[in-house]
Amino acid sequence: MSVNAEQQAFEPLIVVFGCNWCSYAGGDLAGTSRMTYPPNVRVIRVPCSSRVNPNFVLRAFQRGADGVVVAGCHPGDCHYVTGNYYARRRLSALRRFLEFIGVEPERFEVHWISGSEGAKFARVMEEVTEKIRALGPNRKMRDVR
Amino acid sequence: MKQLNDTIKQVAAQSLSRGDVDLVIGWQKGDLWWQSYPAFVENEQDTASLTWDPFCVANLSRYLLEEQEGKNKVAIFVKGCDALGLNQLLQDKRVDREKVYLYGIPCDGLVDHRKLEAEGFKWLSEVRKEGKELVLVGRNGEQKVNARDYMYDKCLTCRYPNPVAYDQMLGEAVEAQPEERFASVKELEEMSADERFTYWANQFSRCIRCFACRNVCPACSCRECIFDIPEPRWLGKAKELSEDQFYHIIRAYHVAGRCVDCGECTRVCPVDLPLQELNRKFIKDINELYGEYDAGVDPETEAPLVTYNTNDPAAFPES
Repeated sequence: MSVNAEQQAFEPLIVVFGCNWCSYAGGDLAGTSRMTYPPNVRVIRVPCSSRVNPNFVLRAFQRGADGVVVAGCHPGDCHYVTGNYYARRRLSALRRFLEFIGVEPERFEVHWISGSEGAKFARVMEEVTEKIRALGPNRKMRDVR
Repeated sequence: MKQLNDTIKQVAAQSLSRGDVDLVIGWQKGDLWWQSYPAFVENEQDTASLTWDPFCVANLSRYLLEEQEGKNKVAIFVKGCDALGLNQLLQDKRVDREKVYLYGIPCDGLVDHRKLEAEGFKWLSEVRKEGKELVLVGRNGEQKVNARDYMYDKCLTCRYPNPVAYDQMLGEAVEAQPEERFASVKELEEMSADERFTYWANQFSRCIRCFACRNVCPACSCRECIFDIPEPRWLGKAKELSEDQFYHIIRAYHVAGRCVDCGECTRVCPVDLPLQELNRKFIKDINELYGEYDAGVDPETEAPLVTYNTNDPAAFPES
C-alpha cells in the first residue's frame, strides 16, 4: 500500500463524551431526524459535562482515539444548574495543558449542544471528523503495546 | 543565621518543657555536610539536635498529615513556602489549625549543594550565611561567595520569603527579590507543538515513577490516591511512555489551582524532571483566564477550579 493510499484509508476515531440531558439528546434528535453524521464518532453518555474526568480523556487517547470531544448543555442550561460552569474552567485548563505537552489542541474540543440542536450535533461531528482527518492519526499519547 | 540556630533550639525546648506541645517538627543535620533532614523531637533534651542552616529546604508542612494523629498540639517551623503549604492543607481541611503552633522563619533563599559541588566546593565542614554572602568553611579555610549564585532556582523566584501564617516570628523579616517565574514556561510555549512534544516525551520517559513528587507535595493530600487504587487501575505498572504521560499530566492537573509553587516536586525528583514547570503552566493559565490567584496565601478563599463565574472565558471556541 503506498503512503497516499494509506492516508486515504485513514479513518479517524472520535470519542465524544455527550451529556445525558443535552448533547446526547441532540445526537438522538439528529438520528431520529434522519440526519447523517460520520460513523467515526463514538458517543459515550455521561450524566453531565462536568462528569468528564481528565482521566477519561487521556485514556481515550491512550487506547486509540484520534480526537476527543466533550459535549454539554449551553452554559446556563445545565440540568444540574452549575455543572457546565465548572466543566468550562476545568476543561479549559486541561485543553491548554494538553497543548503545552505537545498535543495539537484541535484533538480535544468542547462544544455546547442542546437537546434541540440535532442539526448542530451533526454539523459539529462533521467538522471535527474532517479536522482530525486532515491532522492524521494521533500517535502522541497512544499506548503502543 | 547563627543566632536563629540558637533561637530555634531555645523555643523548642521551652515549649516542650512547658508541655504546650507534644512534638516539634524542625530540621537536623544528616550524615553528609549538605543534608538537613526533617527532625521530629518529642523530648526537651533532644532539641539540641535541631538546626537551621542554608540547607533546611525540606517543606515541613506536609509531615503534619501523619504527625498530627493522636497529638494534642504540634509545633512546626515554617519558612515562607512551608507556610503556604500549611495554608493549603488548612484550605483542604486536612490539618486542624488549633492543633498546630507555628514558628515563622524568614528565609531569603536556601543553598543547592549541587550548585556548590559543580563549582568544586565539596566536603565542606560548615556553610553559613552572612548577609548576602555565603561563608564556606572547608579544609582550605574560609571562603566567601555571593549567596544568590548558589541558591535553588525555586528560591530565586520566591515571592513569599516571610511566612504568611505564624504564631511567633523568629528573626527579622526579609525582602523578596523575585525573578520572573514563568520565564521557562513562556519559552516552552513559543516552541512548535512537535518540539514541545519531543521535549516532554524525553523528560517523561526518564521518570522512574518513584512518586516522590506526589509524596512531598503539600497539595497532594488525598487519603486515597488514584494512582494507588486497584480498581479502576488508572495507572498501569508498565514502563511505557503513555503511562508516564498519564501520570505526569494527571499529577499536575490534580494540584492545579492549589499548587503553592514551593518547587519541592522538582527538588526531590531523582531524575531531575522540571515538574515545577508543569504546575506553573496551570498557574499561569488559570491566572490569565480566571484572575490572579496565589494558592496558600489565604486559606479562606476558594481555589479557582472549585468555583466559577457565569461569564467565564473558555480556552476553546464556544459556538
